[in-house]
Amino acid sequence: MKFAPTKRLGPILLAGTLVACSPAASSAPSASSAPAPSTAASADASADVPSSVAPPSGEPIVVGSTLSLTGAFGATGVIHRIVGEQFVERLNANGGLLGRPVEWTVLDDESDGARVTALYERLISQDEVDLIMGPYGTPNILPAMAVAERYGYVMPQHTAVIAPLLTYECQFPAWSIGTTPNEYVPTLVLDALASLPSPPESIVVVANQNGSTDFVANGVADDPNDPSVANVATSRGLEVVDTIQYPPTTTDWAPIAAQVRDADADFVFNSAIGVDTVNLIQAMEQLDYRPPLLFSLFPAPGPLLGVGEAAQGVLSISLFEANEPLLAAAGDEVRAIVDEYEAAATAEGLPYTTWETQATASWNAWEILTQGVAAAGSLEHDAICESLHASGADTTFSGPLTFDPASNNFWPPAQLVKQIQGEEWVAAWPTDRAAAPLQGPAN
Amino acid sequence: MIVIQAAIAGALTGGLFAVMSVGLSLTWGMLRVINLAHFGLILLGAYLTFQLATDLAIDPILTLVITVPLLFLAGATMQYAFDRLALGEFNSLIVSFGLLIIVVQVVSNLWSADFQRMDATVNPYATRALTIGPLAFPLPTLVAFAFAVVIVGSAHLILTRTYPGRALRAFAQDRPIASAYGIDHVRLGTLLAGATGGTAAAAGMLFALGSAVIPTAPFEWVGIVFAVVILGGIGDAVGTLLAGLLVGAVSGIVSVVVSPAAAPLVIFSAVVLALMLRPNGVFVRRSP
Amino acid sequence: MIRRGSLAFLAAAAALALLAFVRDALGFPVFYLVFLSSIWFWTAQATSWNILSGFSGYFSFGQAALVGVGAYTTAVLVGRQDWPFLATLPVAGMLAMILALAVGGLAFRLRSLRGEIFALLTLAVPFILASLARILPAIDGGQGVVVPTPDVSDIVGGFQELLYLLGVAITVGALFVAFLVQHSRIGWGLFAIRDAEDVAEGLGVPTFRLKMLAIGASGLIGGLAGSVFALQIGFVTVEAVFGLTIPLFVIVMCVLGGRDHWAGPLIGAVIVVTLQDRLAASGFEGWSMVILGTILAVLVVLAPDGLVTRIRRRPIAVGLAVIVPIAVLTLADLGDGLIDRLAVGLAIAVVVAFTPIPAWTRAWVRARPSVRGATAADQRVTTADRYLVGTTVPAARPEPTPVDPAATASTEGPGPHAIEVVQVAKRYGGVRALDGVSLRIEAGELVGLVGPNGSGKSTLIGLLSGVLKPTSGRILVAGRDTADLEPHRVAHLGVARTYQIPKPFESMTVRDNVAMAKMFGRQPVGLEEARHAAERHLALVGLADRADHRPSGINLHERQLLEMARALATEPQVLMLDEALAGLNPAEIDQAVAVVRRIHASGVTIVIVEHLLRVVNQLATRIVVLDQGRLLAEGEPTIVMQDPAVVSAYLGRPADA
Repeated sequence: MKFAPTKRLGPILLAGTLVACSPAASSAPSASSAPAPSTAASADASADVPSSVAPPSGEPIVVGSTLSLTGAFGATGVIHRIVGEQFVERLNANGGLLGRPVEWTVLDDESDGARVTALYERLISQDEVDLIMGPYGTPNILPAMAVAERYGYVMPQHTAVIAPLLTYECQFPAWSIGTTPNEYVPTLVLDALASLPSPPESIVVVANQNGSTDFVANGVADDPNDPSVANVATSRGLEVVDTIQYPPTTTDWAPIAAQVRDADADFVFNSAIGVDTVNLIQAMEQLDYRPPLLFSLFPAPGPLLGVGEAAQGVLSISLFEANEPLLAAAGDEVRAIVDEYEAAATAEGLPYTTWETQATASWNAWEILTQGVAAAGSLEHDAICESLHASGADTTFSGPLTFDPASNNFWPPAQLVKQIQGEEWVAAWPTDRAAAPLQGPAN
Repeated sequence: MIVIQAAIAGALTGGLFAVMSVGLSLTWGMLRVINLAHFGLILLGAYLTFQLATDLAIDPILTLVITVPLLFLAGATMQYAFDRLALGEFNSLIVSFGLLIIVVQVVSNLWSADFQRMDATVNPYATRALTIGPLAFPLPTLVAFAFAVVIVGSAHLILTRTYPGRALRAFAQDRPIASAYGIDHVRLGTLLAGATGGTAAAAGMLFALGSAVIPTAPFEWVGIVFAVVILGGIGDAVGTLLAGLLVGAVSGIVSVVVSPAAAPLVIFSAVVLALMLRPNGVFVRRSP
Repeated sequence: MIRRGSLAFLAAAAALALLAFVRDALGFPVFYLVFLSSIWFWTAQATSWNILSGFSGYFSFGQAALVGVGAYTTAVLVGRQDWPFLATLPVAGMLAMILALAVGGLAFRLRSLRGEIFALLTLAVPFILASLARILPAIDGGQGVVVPTPDVSDIVGGFQELLYLLGVAITVGALFVAFLVQHSRIGWGLFAIRDAEDVAEGLGVPTFRLKMLAIGASGLIGGLAGSVFALQIGFVTVEAVFGLTIPLFVIVMCVLGGRDHWAGPLIGAVIVVTLQDRLAASGFEGWSMVILGTILAVLVVLAPDGLVTRIRRRPIAVGLAVIVPIAVLTLADLGDGLIDRLAVGLAIAVVVAFTPIPAWTRAWVRARPSVRGATAADQRVTTADRYLVGTTVPAARPEPTPVDPAATASTEGPGPHAIEVVQVAKRYGGVRALDGVSLRIEAGELVGLVGPNGSGKSTLIGLLSGVLKPTSGRILVAGRDTADLEPHRVAHLGVARTYQIPKPFESMTVRDNVAMAKMFGRQPVGLEEARHAAERHLALVGLADRADHRPSGINLHERQLLEMARALATEPQVLMLDEALAGLNPAEIDQAVAVVRRIHASGVTIVIVEHLLRVVNQLATRIVVLDQGRLLAEGEPTIVMQDPAVVSAYLGRPADA
């Protein structure tokens, strides 16, 4: 455990005294009632994991990272924290890294990209962590990458989208939608839809102006010729009826729904994040409109399932879904990981506990980091970076990955198209990795 | 047609804004307290609605039986404390901001930072609408609109027709004189703040009816609610309703005609203009 | 003071800058620079806010607009137009300043502007800008803008050193600006605006110009620091810069540190940033907001004036409370690094600052001169001061009569009338408050202005002091038409007034209330001289023994006398006393009447509005009667008061009339 409460005198005193200056302080939580620190569970907690390897020994290897544990990205940040703790626990139970135990220090960046820089500077220059892991979310990953680059640290990162901006050669994506997601994603989705008996002939694009979602929908902002969902659709012969951009702060969905209804296209491509699509579906339902086909880019998975019947058939993309056929194909280890995660997520009180794309990306990131270290045989970042470039990583969920600096290390994407069928998300395309066939419009 | 539809749906959403705003506007106008913690109460209302409706499997509107008294108590207690501490307008603003961020954090710790949403089985309102001809009136915001009319209407009647209401208005206009006439402002203020706590419960329920809730939602409301309060005239209940409808309708129309991203630009430019030209509210008849 | 201060700031800047170069030798990790850079950013933003909102009392919720404009200017110019970073810095500062001045120019021109309206206006501005940034692809368009790391010259060292040095330069500069403002007449003017703006304007304070100056400085500082912030975060998004966290943190810092001192924002920023850092480092993140919120709420209730006043009461004890624990912990090698030890030191210092002062210390403190007095003791009027406050009186203006109790009044003589009112009407909507009033007041007169309630007396006083402008007709003061003059320029022409309900500057001593008026008079003088002159005016009204009291510590009668002394300090030709005797007991009235006589004897023309006809008859050389906005009668007191029309106006007309 890196965390040592007794060593951190400052906050307790500072907070305590500022609060205690008043009689009203009695209603405030005292510093001593603070929750357990968000660091990885210690190795001894994993006694139930069978292990035939000698226990790790020596000075622990410290991995540092930030995650958005609170604030706007908090919902996803917590998934990455649970997966990270789970991974470190298993790692230590299986002999650690380079024979040494691994510790993970997580700081909360509060979903504020402005805080990320300082926190990574702290991890590297003050706490002197041996390794770092990237944060979650493009607006956080970019500042973290800048720090990593200054210190030459290898940084695996979970889910950056705007690939052209990730120019640091020792940054390793654990999740890939390619170097040109603005081309890859619409192509993948339209390919999938083309397999339907009656493929869509018209499309309406609805995009959140939130960095990555806007990039996927529109490509580079000031270049109209850059691939975009509309361009890709047009080139495939679809009619683009309308494109709508909305700010991340949108609270009133009715006008957007009205426009979508008015466009009356066969397919609605919602370049969305969080609960955008839930709100859009509700607003459209209220206008008594249900588009034949609806795609949601980065949805929070739980709320969409909660919408019920109106969300049937909604499409999204994923690295891996915990569907029975996929789990059966992937083997017992994957099943064990997935079950373990679900137990931990349930214990954390998460509303949606099924293993899906975020958890997969997180697991990939940890495997990239630890395999890089193992291959290099040292904690030298140059060596780790070099070995990852040379031999890639072999991941449990996404198979062997290769990293080419020419494409910013974004490995060839292999996303699934998933679909809400019944009460779960189901991998539905491509057919060789599908758990169930893709379903077309109900009528 | 799409413009009309957007205007109608927007105006109905404006009903929700009005319910959120009316409490803030009244305590500001009558008690000279700018209570940012009101947003915290709305958030609590939304989460309690979610939790109670999900756990007890009851209609979300019925949760008001529990949430209204709870938040009445919270609002009244807060105002009583403000009064006791003799906080002025700005100090109340800062103190209540402190309370707001405490509520946001506590909610986040209790319910996690993830989106929470009532399932379709619990909340039948979310995806329904009343349709008249080609026009649709979304049910969650229609309910919100109805609540807005009832709440604003009764607030107006209470303020103009009853003794406590008139006493409050007298107090708002001239504190020393009202006190000299024996108006017990502490009791009246506590009562009013309790009532606005009740409206926060309603606003939270109405929000949860149509949307997923996250702990940081209040920061998305602050701008639009202040816009409604200002355009409606501080302390003017009926003005709040009218401003809510106007803001909602304009936001809907601009979203459709220009772009959803342009809606805040129009609304807040209108706020700036209103503050400069009609600082007492857009709907106030010019007093002689 | 100013010179010593300048040297101190220069030395502080040099010492802080040096840290960037010796950091390695001292064995400090780079993170310390990052930590300090964060303090610099917040200190600069809090100072930017405080110069406007803390000093003048106009609360702004728009700090994010300044950060946003600064950050986006740099982000767009560096990231998209390939400008070198340093070239964007001044542009960012200027654009933010222009925005601030535009907001100020619109808002401060409004007659009806109240504090909360200004606050809401500024709340709306970041929303508008955020929306614009999203709509315009040339600025953002929705994807955010990357700010590439500039090449850093070897002399500076690394990127963090560059950020740190820029932060030091901007922040020390900002603090120095705040220091200068506070210790010049600009600061006094802003404090007067915060306490009682209309009174300040009436005493000759150019309130509009001072507020514009404050908001302009605020914009410049906010924009410059915002520009560096863009570099610091590397990726500028609408959410990162236009959020509500920035204004709210800035307000927390200023409230915590103290709003009426330049060092307040610095103290607040150091504590909040340290606390945030420690909370983040300790796994308390789930509670950091709870703790910050509690601190905020509790402090506003317990210590609304902030830490700075408490620290200034015993700087040595508080200073030791910071340094000793750090030293002890460092020697004992306790705590996790310097920042942890700093946090402990700050915590102990806060406790020390809040501990009630023991009785013996209090006696010692009281023996020292007042806080603000001590800091500004040897202040002089600078050239900049003269320029800013200006001498706006036309050259042809007659020299002011020296105010000397010994001098006898010279009431006769050629030249323009002291005040001439020609056919003045004032309407509010359809209501005629004044209708075709013509009136002359000659130098040396003591005119009683009487009339029933609603007869237009207050409107006339407002018109004469320049706060109200006539709907038609002309008002001449010393021969000069005042139609297009701001009230403070009318004051400089020699018109002063008192208020029926006294409105002293609550944050200043009685002496400084009077000195204020002196400092912003026709001929601006420095604080020392103004204080000296104030003694004379206080003596004239009999308040000399109350000079060191706060206005809250004197009674109503004394507050009304203070009103007179303060008005006299503007060296008026004409002094208008608006019901200066209201609410006094007979003994106090007699005393006040004696004071009025003394003032008149010193050569000041007086217009006295009064309900007590006995007093008016006794004092006035001439009486003017207003009724329903019209001039009903004027002339010798004894004759006018027997006029049937006057009698009926006072006693009421028969019901059938």
